[in-house]
Amino acid sequence: MPHDVGAGESAISPVASHLPGESGIWVLILGDLVIFTLFFATFTFYRGQSLALYTQSQHTLHQSFGALNTVLLLTSSLFVALAMNALRREADRTATGLLALAFCCGAGFLTVKYFEYGEKLRAGITLTTNEFYSFYYVLTGLHMIHVILGMGVLLFMCRGAWSGGRGPPRIVLMESGASFWHMVDILWVLIFPLLYLMK
Amino acid sequence: MFMIVFSVGWVVIARFLPPPSPNLTGLEVADFYRSNLFMIRLGLVLSQASLVFYLFWVASISSQLKRIEGASPILSETQLIGGAGGCAAILIACLVWGTVSFRPDRPPELTLMLNDLGWIIFTTTFAPFMTQDFAIAWAIFSDKSKSPIYPRWVAYFNIWTPLLFVPAGLILFFKTGPFAWNGILAFWIPLTIFFIWMIVMTVMTLKAMNRQTR
Repeated sequence: MPHDVGAGESAISPVASHLPGESGIWVLILGDLVIFTLFFATFTFYRGQSLALYTQSQHTLHQSFGALNTVLLLTSSLFVALAMNALRREADRTATGLLALAFCCGAGFLTVKYFEYGEKLRAGITLTTNEFYSFYYVLTGLHMIHVILGMGVLLFMCRGAWSGGRGPPRIVLMESGASFWHMVDILWVLIFPLLYLMK
Repeated sequence: MFMIVFSVGWVVIARFLPPPSPNLTGLEVADFYRSNLFMIRLGLVLSQASLVFYLFWVASISSQLKRIEGASPILSETQLIGGAGGCAAILIACLVWGTVSFRPDRPPELTLMLNDLGWIIFTTTFAPFMTQDFAIAWAIFSDKSKSPIYPRWVAYFNIWTPLLFVPAGLILFFKTGPFAWNGILAFWIPLTIFFIWMIVMTVMTLKAMNRQTR
């Protein structure tokens, strides 16, 4: 089993120092994480200023929408990870299928968001209703732009997997795309508890 | 140079940083101008002068992008147009603020309106800068040569920056809080990133020019 490496060994093996994707993509990923962290910090700061308003408004969010979307994104990340494995085994058809499934999860995420936003807007809750909802729309909206961008990346990866071609440059490109999608996933995993669950 | 002259004129002399709150009344805005009239006028003239450097800077990036693109320089020209548009927005904002300072004894509502106009032009304009970013990123990605003009991380960097200009679009909706034109998320972060972006592009463009002359 080549993957069966102990924790102590992996720390010194060359595999451990492997950075997935091309190094440039990490400028984007780490930069994005820094900025979202600033957003989260600002949110937490303003929340501390008027806790009652935030807790009260939070109760109107439907945790089921958020939870469903968490499951969808985590599943899509799993598909992407499996697809990367398939690509390394040169099982291109399987990889294409898995990436398409990941894309569908992304589409599912957007559908849920459509209903969630729709419900809020029908209830007369908009960007400027109060500070909590401003943060709610801005954080989820900015994240949604990332999801849409990421779905474009997934499509691009699908095409890459389908059209074949060999060699390390292709894997590196695919890993870059996969890393971006995982980041989109991580951001949601942070946004969900912050907006929907934090007590 | 653009950054230095603009900062001196706009921040040090005119004291436009931190921005006056969008929540101020017309009288308060008029006071802001009246209390510092000479320096505001001088600062705005200097801010406008700094734009000369901005245009040279935009053009030198485009000339590097043109080396990547060769015969059909669509992206380098898009970058050029974006830069010109961005420059126009900053210029017009300075002129509008200048108009406010020209007759500070106007009725307060007019002062308020012009001041709003200046700030809204300055802080909510994001499309031209975004155009520059995407054109630069796209051109770098299309660079397939063995010794690329710009390293590929610069392309990713130019995808990162426009994503953070997005909150600037929120300024119209808010008069207080983090998304107002003096708020941390809609103003301070995009402004900081804009300056980081200018530094990165300056350094990388100088490097590319050095390699070119060698």
